[in-house]
Amino acid sequence: MLLQICGRKRKWAHNAERIIKMKEYTLDCLGEACPVPLMKTEKKINSIEVGDVLIVQIDHSCAMKNVPEWARTQGYNVEIDEVGDGEWEVVIEKTK
Amino acid sequence: MKKIWEKLEKNQYYATIFKNPFTYVTGAVLLSVLQIALLASSGNPWGVSGPFTNWGAWIFEAFGGSVDKWFYFSSAGAQNTLNGGFLNDTGSIQNAGIIIGALAATLLASQFKLKKIKSVKQVIAAVLGGLLMGYGARLAFGCNIGALFSGIASLSLSGWVFALALLVGAFIGSKLLAKFFM
Repeated sequence: MLLQICGRKRKWAHNAERIIKMKEYTLDCLGEACPVPLMKTEKKINSIEVGDVLIVQIDHSCAMKNVPEWARTQGYNVEIDEVGDGEWEVVIEKTK
Repeated sequence: MKKIWEKLEKNQYYATIFKNPFTYVTGAVLLSVLQIALLASSGNPWGVSGPFTNWGAWIFEAFGGSVDKWFYFSSAGAQNTLNGGFLNDTGSIQNAGIIIGALAATLLASQFKLKKIKSVKQVIAAVLGGLLMGYGARLAFGCNIGALFSGIASLSLSGWVFALALLVGAFIGSKLLAKFFM
């Protein structure tokens, strides 16, 4: 029992450490047409660490489709936020 | 009024039809069905860049120029189209429909935005790209709609030849894009 609690504590500590270490990057692709946002995202994601988050700002609706699609095929966590009329933020967590 | 919009935003049919992008399959099926309807009603396969050439000629004529002696417009058919004017050219009406339709679609999805120009490089690339596309489409007697899409839909071999050249061009184009824009 005690061992179990200790184990769990260690896991929490590990997760907390990960959250603190996590960095957030923003990639400005506003005003850029396909396939430039996707190419820039592919390049940028290679330069960040596992666990980091990349926020891609786009205002080209076709990038709203191909950037998340590509990220999902890579197995990353993806979320799309509509931040304004015709403007989106694709939030990609580099999970591996 | 504001309440109606808020309600509409959450309506699933509004979201599926106007807001969310169609899947590629939905788009392909719609394009196929509509191009058959267009061929049946107008008698001509769908084309986009051809009518733009007529727009260019009309603009040139509006400034006092004359294209009567140009080889491209020398056929009786081309002269008839030019003399008939914008409203009698089905291709021109179709192109106007594309522009108005695209505007309507983006407004209905509440996604209209005037995009800022990022750099001079972007302007040069857009102008150069437009010139190359327009010039190439005339040399090839069609663009990716008239020559590729309608070509293949008419079971013509030329559509497939165009597709091969298009792949080579897209490959070179993406290399240039990576070189100058990354």
